[in-house]
Amino acid sequence: MKGALSIAGSASRLEAAPIIVVFLLLLLLFMITAPGVFMAPNIYTTFLSTLPPLILLATGLTFVIGAGEIDLSFPAIIAFSGFVFAILFKEYQLGWLAVAIALLSGVLVGFVNGLLVARLGIPSFIATLGAQFFWSGIATVLSGGKSYALRGAEESSVWLWLVGRFQFGGDPYDWYNQVSVQALWTALIVVFLWFILNRHRFGEHVLFLGDSNDVSRVVGVDVEKEKIRLFTMMGALAALAAVFLTLENRNYFGNQGQGYLLLAIAAVLIGGTSIFGGRATIIGSVFGCFIVMVIETGLVASGLEGSWVRTVQGLVFLAAIIFYLIIEEPQRWRAAIARLLPAPLAPSRKGGDEHPA
Amino acid sequence: MRMTRFLLIGAAAFGLMTAASLAQEAPGAGVTIYMQMGGNAGDGATLARQTGAAAAAKALGVDQLNEQFSAWAPEKMIEQFKQALAANPSCIVIMGHPGADAFKALVDEAVAKGIVVTHGNSPLTPLMEAYGPKGFGYAGVDLYEGGKLTAEEMIKVGNLKAGDKAMVYGVFSQAERGLSEKGLADTLEKAGLTVERLEITQEANSDASLAVPVLAAYVQNNPDLKAIGTQHGGITGILAEVLKKAGKKPGEITVGGIDLGPATIDGLKSGYVQLTLDQLLYMQGFMPVLQCVLTAKYKMPGLNLNTGAGVVTSQTINDLVSLIDAGIR
Repeated sequence: MKGALSIAGSASRLEAAPIIVVFLLLLLLFMITAPGVFMAPNIYTTFLSTLPPLILLATGLTFVIGAGEIDLSFPAIIAFSGFVFAILFKEYQLGWLAVAIALLSGVLVGFVNGLLVARLGIPSFIATLGAQFFWSGIATVLSGGKSYALRGAEESSVWLWLVGRFQFGGDPYDWYNQVSVQALWTALIVVFLWFILNRHRFGEHVLFLGDSNDVSRVVGVDVEKEKIRLFTMMGALAALAAVFLTLENRNYFGNQGQGYLLLAIAAVLIGGTSIFGGRATIIGSVFGCFIVMVIETGLVASGLEGSWVRTVQGLVFLAAIIFYLIIEEPQRWRAAIARLLPAPLAPSRKGGDEHPA
Repeated sequence: MRMTRFLLIGAAAFGLMTAASLAQEAPGAGVTIYMQMGGNAGDGATLARQTGAAAAAKALGVDQLNEQFSAWAPEKMIEQFKQALAANPSCIVIMGHPGADAFKALVDEAVAKGIVVTHGNSPLTPLMEAYGPKGFGYAGVDLYEGGKLTAEEMIKVGNLKAGDKAMVYGVFSQAERGLSEKGLADTLEKAGLTVERLEITQEANSDASLAVPVLAAYVQNNPDLKAIGTQHGGITGILAEVLKKAGKKPGEITVGGIDLGPATIDGLKSGYVQLTLDQLLYMQGFMPVLQCVLTAKYKMPGLNLNTGAGVVTSQTINDLVSLIDAGIR
C-alpha cells in the first residue's frame, strides 16, 4: 500500500500525470480491441489534422477557467470568424489578408466579451452566452445560412502553410505524407502558452484571479485589464481554430463550431483544471483533448454498437475524474468516500485504509 | 424504371447468394465497413437505417460494421470520414450532406487506396459521375423529386388552392440536402400558393423538440396559414405537438412531412399530420452494405437507388405500425 502511495505521490509531481496515465490506458485498451486501427500510424496522422482546433480552444479555455471564468462564445467565433475568412478568401481572394482579418474579428469579439465581463461586471457565463447567440446569429445573417466551398484552396500558399501536409516523397497518400502543418503550429502555440501560464506574470495573475479577485487586487493585479486580455486571447485562439477548420474542410459551414462547446469544456475539466479557478494545467487539457477524441474513434473502431458509444464515453469521463481525484487530491477523495459510507466503515483521518475495530 | 432497378438489385443479390453458397463462404467474409448513419443512435430518422444496415451485415456475413453518428453536423461527417479512412476498411458509407466539394479530396484518397466508397440520403452527383464505376452508389431519395411528390400529395389531400398561405421549414442552406425542401416549396409555389421558407437551426436540426415553441409561435402569428411542409424526419414528428400547442384542430392545417418515426405515427393517427414521404430508411441502411460487398468482392459498379417510393397517409399507416415499432419501416 505504501509502495502504491509512493508511486502515486511521484506521479502526482508530474503535471497532469493522472490524466496522461488514463490516456495511455485507453490507448492500450484500443490497441487490444482494435489493433488494425490503433497499431497502424494512419489514425495518429488523422488526429493531427482533426485535433488542432479542439486543442487551441481547450488551451484558451484553460486560462479562462483557471481564472474562475467561463467562455461559451467560442463556437460562435468559429462560425463568425470562419465566415469572415471564407468570404474574404473566396469572393475577394485576399489570401493572407483574409487570415489576418479573420483573426482580428475573433480578437474583436473576445475584446468585447472582456469589456462586458471586466468593465460592466456581467458574469462571464451570461455575457458569453449572450455573445454566443449574438455572433452566431450575425454569422447566419451575413452568410444567409449558406455554406461556402473553398474550391482550389489547396493551391494557395495560405492552405499549404497553415494546414498543408509535410511531403517526404513517395505516395502522397502514405501516412508519413499526411502529417498536417497545423499540428506543428498548434504544438508551438501550446508550448508558448504553457510558458505564459507557468512562467510569465500574466499566467500568475490568471491563477490569482481564479483564487480570488479581491486578493488579486490587494496584491496589485489589475483585475479588469487581465480579464480583458484573457477573453481577447480566447477570441484570437477561437478565430485561429476557425481558420484551421475552414481551410482543412475546404468549406465554411453555417453552423460550424457548435459541436465543440461541450467537447472543449470536457477536455479542460477532465485534464485537471479546477472549475472553481485557481488551478490550471495546459498539459492536462491537451491530454483531455486526446481522450475526448480517442474515445469515440476507439469505440467505433472496436465495433461497439452505436447506441452504447455515448454511455461508455460518459463512464470514461467519470473514471478519469475519479482517478484524477485519487492521485492528485487524495484528501478530497477520502472525504467523498467518508460521506458515502456509513460512519463505522468510513476511512479514518489518519489512514485511508484503516477500519476501526 | 423503379421496378427495373429493384429487379436488377434482386438479381444481383440472388447471384451473390448463389455464388456464396457455391464458394461456401459468407459473401461478406473479409469485408469491413465504416458507415455514417446521420443523426443520433436510435432516433426516428436514423433507427431504420441502423436496423437495415445491421440486417444486411448479418445476412451477408460482413466481418465488421462500424456505425458513426454525427447529429447531422456536416463538419462531423468530414471528421468521421477521415477517421474511417485511417482505419483502412474495405468500404466507407458516407452521408452526402457536406457536399461534393467538401468530400472530393477524401473520396479521391480513399479510392486511390483501394477503399470502396458509397453514399446515401443526400446525393453527391459529381462524385457519383466520377466514381460510379468504382462502386460509388447512392441509396436515398431523389431529393427534389421527393419534395415535389410530398407537395403534390399535400395539394391533393388538403385541397390547397392558389392564394393559400404555406410555410416550408427546412435546411435550405445545405446545397444538396436542401433540394428536398426546395422541391416542396417550388411545387407549392407553382400551384399558386404563397410560400414562406424558414431555415431550421443546427440546434433544431439535431434535436427537433427545440423547434416546438418557434413553430407554435409562427402558427399562432399566422392565422391564415393553410399548410406546413418539411422534409426533416425529426421535425415531422413534432408537428402534431406544435399544432396542438398553437390551438389548432386536426386537419385545420395540412401537414406534409417525411419518415415514419413513432411520433409521426401518432401525428398521422391523430389527424394532425396528413401525409409523410416514406423514404425507406431500412433500404438506405441495407443497400449501401450490399453495395460495399458487391463492389469489394465482385468489383460491381455503383447502383443508384431512389428510395422515395411514395407517401403514407392516415389511411395507410395502421398496417405499418408493428414494422415501425420494430425499427424496420
